[in-house]
Amino acid sequence: MGGVHRIPDRSQRENTSRMNSLVRNVADWFDDRTGMRKLMRTALDEPVPGGARWRYVWGSTLVMAFFTQAITGLFLWMNYSSSTQTAWESVFAIQHELIGGWWLRGIHHFMAQAMVILLVIHLTQVVIDGAYRAPRELNFVLGIGLMLVVLGLALTGYLLPWDQKGYWATKVGTELSSQAPWAGAMVKKLAIGGSDYGHYTLKRFFALHAGLLPSLLMLLLGLHLALFRRHGLHARYFQGKGKVQGKEGALFWPDQVLKDSVAALMVLAAVLTLTVYYGGAELAAPADPASPYAAARPETYFLFLFQFLKWFPGESEVWGAIVIPSLVLLLVLLMPWIGRSRTGHLCNVAILFVLLGGAGLLTAQALYDDNFAAWHTRDDAPVQEEPRQAYLKRLAASEQFLQARREAAHEADRVIELALSPERIPSTGALTLVYDDPLLQGPKLFRRHCAGCHNYQDPQALEAETNIINPAPTGSNLFGVGSRAWVAGLLDPDQIAGPHYFGYAESPFLGEDGMVAWVRENIGDVASDERAALTEQITRVVAALSAESHLPQQQQLDRDQASRIDEGKRLIAEEVGCTDCHKFHDVDNEGEGPDLTGYMSRAWLLDFLRNPAADRFYGEANDRMPAFAVHQDPAMNQLDKKTLELMVDWLRGDWYRPE
Amino acid sequence: MTQTDPADTSSPEGLAPEGKPCPAGDRRSFVAKLVAVVSGGAALLVPLASGLVVFLGPLWRKARSPQVRVALLSQVPEDGIPRFFPVRADRVDAWNRYPQQRVGGVYLLREKGQEPIALTAKCPHAGCFIGYVRGSDVFQCPCHTSTFHLDGARVHGDAEVSPRDMDRLPVELKPVGSVSSSGVSSSGVSSSGVSSSGVSSSGAASSGAVANTDAPSATNSAEASGQDAEIWVEYIEFQTGHKEKIRAV
Repeated sequence: MGGVHRIPDRSQRENTSRMNSLVRNVADWFDDRTGMRKLMRTALDEPVPGGARWRYVWGSTLVMAFFTQAITGLFLWMNYSSSTQTAWESVFAIQHELIGGWWLRGIHHFMAQAMVILLVIHLTQVVIDGAYRAPRELNFVLGIGLMLVVLGLALTGYLLPWDQKGYWATKVGTELSSQAPWAGAMVKKLAIGGSDYGHYTLKRFFALHAGLLPSLLMLLLGLHLALFRRHGLHARYFQGKGKVQGKEGALFWPDQVLKDSVAALMVLAAVLTLTVYYGGAELAAPADPASPYAAARPETYFLFLFQFLKWFPGESEVWGAIVIPSLVLLLVLLMPWIGRSRTGHLCNVAILFVLLGGAGLLTAQALYDDNFAAWHTRDDAPVQEEPRQAYLKRLAASEQFLQARREAAHEADRVIELALSPERIPSTGALTLVYDDPLLQGPKLFRRHCAGCHNYQDPQALEAETNIINPAPTGSNLFGVGSRAWVAGLLDPDQIAGPHYFGYAESPFLGEDGMVAWVRENIGDVASDERAALTEQITRVVAALSAESHLPQQQQLDRDQASRIDEGKRLIAEEVGCTDCHKFHDVDNEGEGPDLTGYMSRAWLLDFLRNPAADRFYGEANDRMPAFAVHQDPAMNQLDKKTLELMVDWLRGDWYRPE
Repeated sequence: MTQTDPADTSSPEGLAPEGKPCPAGDRRSFVAKLVAVVSGGAALLVPLASGLVVFLGPLWRKARSPQVRVALLSQVPEDGIPRFFPVRADRVDAWNRYPQQRVGGVYLLREKGQEPIALTAKCPHAGCFIGYVRGSDVFQCPCHTSTFHLDGARVHGDAEVSPRDMDRLPVELKPVGSVSSSGVSSSGVSSSGVSSSGVSSSGAASSGAVANTDAPSATNSAEASGQDAEIWVEYIEFQTGHKEKIRAV
């Protein structure tokens, strides 16, 4: 030990060495019982012939990607609930309510995409390098097995949010599997857990996605890595050249691990960039078994299969969906044996590039077809008849696709808006929000039941997307019924016989005793000195009549104009003389015109739709408007109460609006 | 991993001192191996089989086709023009029952003096919803543009993408209100007869329905007799992609 003059340092040094020996002792104890050091050395001291290289990182990035998926998946699992009433709802909560949920889900989503790309790179490298040659054939087969498991994970994961996109795309997929020879129908039934999609489908897909497939992947990955170690790294450049170039004696740790880790970080950076750029993964509207989604497409990396199928019409579809893909897979599995000779190896490389190139082309073609209408117009159509027809068909298909996608995006935004409202999602699930929302259902119902006669077109924005246009209407434009603007137009001599009101062909209002004649006579043909006063009066009548509707959008206006409205009510019954033909509150001269009490209010409109030919409305003068619910017995009615309410609420703009 | 050498498996007790195999030990080792394999296998297989039985369960369950009231006869005038009606039926999903869900759609049409025919809107090719634009003389599928005549036959025959004609469904006429509990609940939702286009455009049906407002029970219809009927359809799902009509199971 040290001399006397070193005494001040001694206790310090002893402390350190005592500490060191304690650590060493504990480590020894563990090593004695586990053989840990040897294991670590075996794992890390693998020689890397020719030195660490960037081109060796791909396998490791895949391992990293898998662990990313396992970790993020586990945390997603803690917040996910796999039933048809809760799957979308819980993913909605992850995406829009949980702190950092969108980030977590985004990583899981985009890493899945990255994994497919990394798989392709890894496979390409193995094939080009001929790394499948003896004794590595089995490891190549294991690798293809791993690839299939990863694709299975992608396929099953797509359905789990139970949104329109995943639901319909997956449905097409399972529908196709039913065409497989012999066991097709059974496979489909087992996959979806019954005859139709439902709880059991989700349960099965989730068990596959989070249980069976990851376990299988870990098993295969363990074997893959064990065999990889057994055979050693395949160093293409150094085989048969007699001399290994580069750094001799480089080891896996830390030389290659450094490069692997940096590569892993780069992959993660790319995934995070995508996550931030897209604001996480998309969540479409909740799956609705009753409304097929025309723009359903599989994930991008399956698009080539989707496009490939278009070549196989009718019954030959089974070739495109099952037979040919299976044969291709078999061919790939046989590559190690095909590649035993130099020619065979070159064949393999050629096969791989044909397959990848083909898949790439098909993907591009699928994307191009879908977006055709975004880049082309009718004017570009060829002149010759046959290519012209083909062109127009293509254009129409793309237009439908883009339209369906726009509508789906709109629906998704709206459901999310409703789900975020203070009402939250009812226990029956988010689909109830869709079915009960006038804003989402109104346009559909209007198209089905009203648009045969009526327009729904904003006169201030004739080209607006929300417009529903009938080029030859036989009824008035119902946009903004009951609003100040709508009522003002009705009482405007220049507008009442126009396209938005009663100006359609064979209008019953155009007769001598009709409303149009009255407006023209009493409001149009007045002496110029009376004009100003009359205009004042009409403004008040408009306010009063419009206030009868109690439109939710006019509540504030109705309050602000209370005195004007009172004055207008008096004018309706007295000077202006509406009550000559119309009933208005207590004043009833038994005229022909419809009751103006509560005109265009919810109750008025509901009653009107039930039976416009009731005495209170058009009576026998009704020559065209159907009575949608005239019977006491609901079974006899064309429309049920809820449908009518949705239509009326939508017409009145009575739907939830966020603050 | 410690791999045991196959030579080690015969334990020292199995060998006679001079190294010759002992018959008794051999037998014992055979029995031991057998019992080990059987009991170990059973221990694994029983739980696996138990799980598989439940997993394979759906194969033994059959789908049923509901009989559904889709419209009133008066909603389908005798003009040969197809009219779309949604098909609503109770849908059972595992442990949930959803009453009166829209499960599909049918086109009903009627020629003069004939019974109505029902064509399912599900395309025989890939199951998309076949569309019909009023005034057109063909049906068209939006997905792969298959076209069908109004009687459901393919316009281009076997050259069409669709492997077979549109599927007809069995139709049955029943007196109004004769069935109230089976299939259709008596609540308001049963107005499954929701016409897409016909009612508002066809003068006969609408003016008839409108004129008799004071006596709803005696509502007139396109039927000259004044006697309306309910149109019931057996909503069968057929497998897509096949030349033959095969019931989905």
